[in-house]
Amino acid sequence: MRFLYSLSIILFFSVFITGCKNRTTNVEAGIRDQILHLGNGTEPQDLDPHTVTGVPEHHILMALFEGLVTPDPVDLHPVPGVAKNWDISEDGLLYTFHLNKNAKWSNGDPVTAEDFRLSYKRMLTPSLASEYAYMLHYVVGAKEYNLGELTDFNQVGFRAIDPHTFQVTLKQPTPFFLNLLVHPSWWPVHIPTVEKFGGLERKGTQWTRPENLVGNGPFTLKEWKFSQKIIVEKSPTYWDRDQVKLHQIHFYPIESQETEERMFRSGQLHKTNEIPLSKIDVYRRDHPELLHIDPYLGIYFYRINTTIPPLDKPKVRRALALAIDRDSLVTNVLKGGQQSALSFTPPNTAGYIPKAQLKGGSDEARKLLAEAGYPNGEGFPTVELLYNTSESHKIIAEVIQEMWSTNLNIQAELVNQEWKVYLDSQDTLSFQICRAGWIADYVDPHVFLEIFVTDGGNNDTGWSNQEYDSLLEEALAQSDQAKRYEVYQRMEKILMDELPIIPIYVYTRPYLLHPSVKGHYPTKLDNHPYKYIYLEADSSE
Amino acid sequence: MLSPSAEKLPSSISLSPDEIEKGTSLWKDAWLRLKKNHLALFGGIFILIFFTLCVLGPFFLGEEYRIQRTNLGATSPSLDHWLGTDILGRDMFARILYGGRISLAVGLSATFVSLTIGVTYGAISGFFGGKTDAFMMRLVDILYALPFTIFVILLMVFFGQNIILLFVAIGAVEWLTMARIVRGQILSLRKQEFIEAAHSLGLGTPRIIFRHMIPNILGPVIVYTTLTIPAVMLLEAFLSFLGLGVQAPMSSLGSLIKDGADKMEEFSWLLIFPGFAFALTLFSLNFLGDGLRDALDVRASKD
Repeated sequence: MRFLYSLSIILFFSVFITGCKNRTTNVEAGIRDQILHLGNGTEPQDLDPHTVTGVPEHHILMALFEGLVTPDPVDLHPVPGVAKNWDISEDGLLYTFHLNKNAKWSNGDPVTAEDFRLSYKRMLTPSLASEYAYMLHYVVGAKEYNLGELTDFNQVGFRAIDPHTFQVTLKQPTPFFLNLLVHPSWWPVHIPTVEKFGGLERKGTQWTRPENLVGNGPFTLKEWKFSQKIIVEKSPTYWDRDQVKLHQIHFYPIESQETEERMFRSGQLHKTNEIPLSKIDVYRRDHPELLHIDPYLGIYFYRINTTIPPLDKPKVRRALALAIDRDSLVTNVLKGGQQSALSFTPPNTAGYIPKAQLKGGSDEARKLLAEAGYPNGEGFPTVELLYNTSESHKIIAEVIQEMWSTNLNIQAELVNQEWKVYLDSQDTLSFQICRAGWIADYVDPHVFLEIFVTDGGNNDTGWSNQEYDSLLEEALAQSDQAKRYEVYQRMEKILMDELPIIPIYVYTRPYLLHPSVKGHYPTKLDNHPYKYIYLEADSSE
Repeated sequence: MLSPSAEKLPSSISLSPDEIEKGTSLWKDAWLRLKKNHLALFGGIFILIFFTLCVLGPFFLGEEYRIQRTNLGATSPSLDHWLGTDILGRDMFARILYGGRISLAVGLSATFVSLTIGVTYGAISGFFGGKTDAFMMRLVDILYALPFTIFVILLMVFFGQNIILLFVAIGAVEWLTMARIVRGQILSLRKQEFIEAAHSLGLGTPRIIFRHMIPNILGPVIVYTTLTIPAVMLLEAFLSFLGLGVQAPMSSLGSLIKDGADKMEEFSWLLIFPGFAFALTLFSLNFLGDGLRDALDVRASKD
């Protein structure tokens, strides 16, 4: 095997070297022309910041739109975006944003306070049914308007004082409010364009097509070849265009990690979205300079459809959760420095360390399953385990399938679906157990715990608990951080008792990055603002 | 070069009168011819061995194919694991045998489905001729024109990934050629004297078709069947390669090859062994099919 291995290495390098001489690769041409080539996992659902929920979409939207504030490239603290500065009232409830007069849409229109107001109105419109509408619920009247209890939008706490002054009134002093604004649900859309192509209240209309889309970000959408690539180009109207050094970014929707890794190696990508599990050790040994493992504030978990028997029994869910040997999964299979997750909120999220933790091993799991009426798994139906098509989700699912089979004698069937179909299945609760990941939108435990509120847009488990809902309200009313975290601890306890989800591991972000990419820093949220990124060949090459 | 039948001639002359009366059957002739074809014989023996291993092996190895040793991970072949382990530490030897079992099962049962439909359909079409024949054959033409991989993929997507469905789906698209071959053979038979004799004896149509015609076309049918099995296995492998075939923790040779292909640079044995097993099986079946054609269908043979 050693021989074959070295032979293949020699063959590979001979191909690689001759390849270099004969034609320039994407990477080299990219360095020359400032064109960044990125692997982006999957074909985006849409490019409407108000309706999408996924990470791949977010990667593209970051180039096309910009909110009131933008994240700093190093530590993501809010820095001026469309708003050049802002004032916060003494009581922390009133935010006044002074908009940059140079901020323009890509068609030349100025970005005004009214644009923001109308965008938030669209986001909160009940008939748009945006999954992320709850991100705006911190504002006075926003929740009521969103639920249809309030019909007059003037009563919601958004005010356009003049074209360049925008005011937001919050219900409670929300300490993380400015961090929230970095999220796509807080970004403006060009209202006349959205209106022209199908109206404000419809999802998936033609306004996001390259010939129609009007954005205000550092880049404009140039080309969208379905399932091939999306090209964005530097915007000539962007207010901070001198900062933008990249000329174009090409996003490739590559679902297969192996293909992506091969493309990276053959010089077609500057950065991969992920790396195949089997390759992590190889890169660690041979090319540690290309392998990056960033901390990533997110949790990999399984959602359980709590509306169908036998998964509606908390004991069954607990048995399933306890039967997973997370340490073995993380150290032997994933190998990317991940941690086992024993609670839903990752430990040390803005100083919050969850106390409620999953405890017990497979013996406890078997006992619980017997108490639930399935001694030794007898009579337990085969469960379906859904994941979106990806090699690593499959491997993880296979490992867990086997753990359930050996520890509980429960058989699981694996089902994979393409990203959009999978998102749809999740939304409509047409699954039994499904793989999910939740990446923090901003650094606060709230971002994890809020999703399981009754009928929350991202709840997707059918789970509902009144005490949990009222605690969430209580947390927001709490201005003292220590007390607020106490409330979260109680919520976490409820979540860990009822387990509508099975936490599996805390993410890290392993990917491959070409050394020529500069201005790209490891951030906890995998947020890398493109306007600070540039390409420069290493002098050693 | 002597033709097989000419070679046989002197021996039959030298036989004693009693033995002449007994005669040699068509099947015995064919067996003699097949024995001379070493490749076909080798193919047959390999298939027999592989088949036995696949059927009996899992009884001895038990659940070995799904037992994970994640702390072990992928290891190259050793005494403990003859063909190494995959990245979850599952024994490759057991997985290949189990995969071979599934692949063979798919191959055999889908071929059986295609055989049943194809022979019946072709025989009916050929026997009745005329408008019935024209209509039935145009239907086959239309089905031929369907891109069948897409058809199978659609079935998989609509009805879910079920291994029984996989058998049926592949069988349902594989019967077309069989129907054509059978129809052609029946057409050439139906004007022959013995069929006219059967007619004049007042035998019913089903009896004529199934008792008198089909036994006469068994040669080409058997030949084509042995060639369909590898084609079906290839199709199953291809579907598994696309992720539409059998689901984990089961494996088929196709899904093993897919997993191996993704990791061939680090763990070459994950591709080499299942690939080798699959290639050998296909070669053997094809050689056997070729040999059978030469043996059973004298007119079509090369010499």
